[in-house]
Amino acid sequence: MADLRIKDLVVEYSKGEYRVRPIDGLSLDVSEGSLAILLGPSGCGKTTLLSCLGGILSPSAGRIEFGDIDLTKLDERELSHYRRTTVGIVFQAFNLVSSLTALENVMVPLRAARVPRREARKRAEELLDRVGLAHRMGHRPGDLSGGQQQRVAVARAIALDPPLILADEPTAHLDYIQVEEVLRLIRELASGERVVVVATHDSRMLPLADRVVELMPHIAYTEHEPDTVELQAGETLFEQGTMGDCIYVVSEGELEIARELASGGEEVLKVAGPGDYFGEMGPVFGLPRSATVRALTAATVVGYTVQAFREKLGATGSREIVEHRPLSGEPDPSPEPD
Amino acid sequence: MLIAALRDLQWRKRRFVIAIVGTGLVFAMTLVLTGLANGFGVEANRTVDALGLQSYLVKSGAPGPFLGSSPFPPTEVQQVSRLPGVQVAVPLVYGSATMPDRGSARNVNVFGAPERGPGMPVLSSGRPPAAPDEVAVSSTMRRAVGDRIEIGSRTLNIVGIVHDSTALAGQPNIFLTVAGAQQLLFSGQQLISSIGVRGVPAQPPNGYRVVDRAGAVEDLSRALNGARQAMTLMAGLLWVVAALIVGSMIYVSALERTRDFAVFKAVGVPTRSILGGLAMQAVIVALLAALLGAVLSVLLGPLFPMRVDIPRLAFVSLPVLAVAIGLLASVAGLRRAVTVDPALAFGGP
Repeated sequence: MADLRIKDLVVEYSKGEYRVRPIDGLSLDVSEGSLAILLGPSGCGKTTLLSCLGGILSPSAGRIEFGDIDLTKLDERELSHYRRTTVGIVFQAFNLVSSLTALENVMVPLRAARVPRREARKRAEELLDRVGLAHRMGHRPGDLSGGQQQRVAVARAIALDPPLILADEPTAHLDYIQVEEVLRLIRELASGERVVVVATHDSRMLPLADRVVELMPHIAYTEHEPDTVELQAGETLFEQGTMGDCIYVVSEGELEIARELASGGEEVLKVAGPGDYFGEMGPVFGLPRSATVRALTAATVVGYTVQAFREKLGATGSREIVEHRPLSGEPDPSPEPD
Repeated sequence: MLIAALRDLQWRKRRFVIAIVGTGLVFAMTLVLTGLANGFGVEANRTVDALGLQSYLVKSGAPGPFLGSSPFPPTEVQQVSRLPGVQVAVPLVYGSATMPDRGSARNVNVFGAPERGPGMPVLSSGRPPAAPDEVAVSSTMRRAVGDRIEIGSRTLNIVGIVHDSTALAGQPNIFLTVAGAQQLLFSGQQLISSIGVRGVPAQPPNGYRVVDRAGAVEDLSRALNGARQAMTLMAGLLWVVAALIVGSMIYVSALERTRDFAVFKAVGVPTRSILGGLAMQAVIVALLAALLGAVLSVLLGPLFPMRVDIPRLAFVSLPVLAVAIGLLASVAGLRRAVTVDPALAFGGP
């Protein structure tokens, strides 16, 4: 049995001076022989999760278990062995080594695993034959089409017959004919005891999946009346990284808008007072909140849906909101974080 | 991952060839400079050995029998020949003169020694000079027996040729009788530069000191010590240039292959294998450059107007030093490869 189990996974890292948490408390089970698709827009943490599953990135918290291997307990050498023997990775943009032929690219993981040269060559030939590239073995990546390169990448990924295959945007950079070839190939991989995890934002792949994991769930926005929220001093209105559907206008009191820093502290971006509004980018674009808002004094704010706020602003589209036009109608030189 | 390193060499062959040619030229210049510096010592040794003497007596305070000599009357020669430990003692004259040569002037080293005594080298053709207006010259002057040459204000008849006899960076040696050399150098005054001795005198006469063979060689090449040091320094700088060429090429290669290294690491290739491949590239470039440098130095050496005498040890040690320098120079590239994050492999194109 080699099921994939992810529990309370948190990945946090520094990006510039700010702290980013693309994965926050993810739990997931994928049983052997199935194909799971990680779906979500760019920046939602798909590739980060694949990096963790591939033993390339260490999570900040939580556990990842594949069969009886607990990835979070492996040291550097064990992780290298895990990557070599347990995982096959199909990278975005193929990532074949341009100086090597198709055959030699497939031989890379075999030679890394100390398979004798002759045996590695035979195995690589078999794999390229299996992906329909027997006639292109001696060609370098630059001489192959995108679909052919992706098939070489798949052959490389399964060279050591790993029980876990990870594919990062495997249909990006491919035309529809090439997509068809690759989809069929990936579906074939998820058989027997093998687990295949595909990260994509291409919804055409969904019919392939045994399991679809939306890494950034859509919020079902529903129109509702403006929501008045009373806050005590120190009380948090919303936290960085959470989803929300309201744009808030301050009626009374003061609130600080703060972003987490890589150093561990927070940077106060702005103190909002009566008449100010904030939190518009998340609801408009379906993004998580990029800052935390908490009351500095006893405060009252009114939360509007995007449509209701647009009407309040007198805007005809989202442009005025994105440009952070003041409620008075004058342009504001200092746009707010969402 | 040696195959990947070899394929990368083929893939970027133009750049590697340029690096090999550049480094090879630098190695050739290093060898030639080494040969030039070594040549100074070789010709001094050959000249001193050709005189067939074991030691020299010079006036106390004179650094040596040649460049450092202080002329003195030959009154003590007979006395020295009777000293214990001395088999033969002969008067020797040494000095520098200028002769016209195809429209310009050329320096020659003038040696005066008895016709049949020690101090007169073995000739490749002709006979030793017997009269003051006769001379034996180095074959490097490209003159023949029977030719006449003008040196200073005198015209001399060439009666013998000495094979490849030079000193002081390729200056030809000429050999006269003691009287001939005295006329040429000392306006006929009966002065000598040293007393050449076969054997080693147990106790030199008062006012004299003994200079051994090594001291004589040192004296004959003293004028070139500065040049030799400059050449050694230049050779050292050229080693650094060679290291920079190899190192920068390997570093650029490592920079360009960052994504490849990330992919290798992501598929489980051990970092040491990646480093091994990169180091192998440095070694191959350095070795091929060393080979090219050795060939070029042999071809370029004869084009120099001075003796280029590259020691065999230099040819043997060049590849060893080249590999060491190649590896040392590739440290920056190796460090770069070590720090590549395999997560980079997940990036887009």
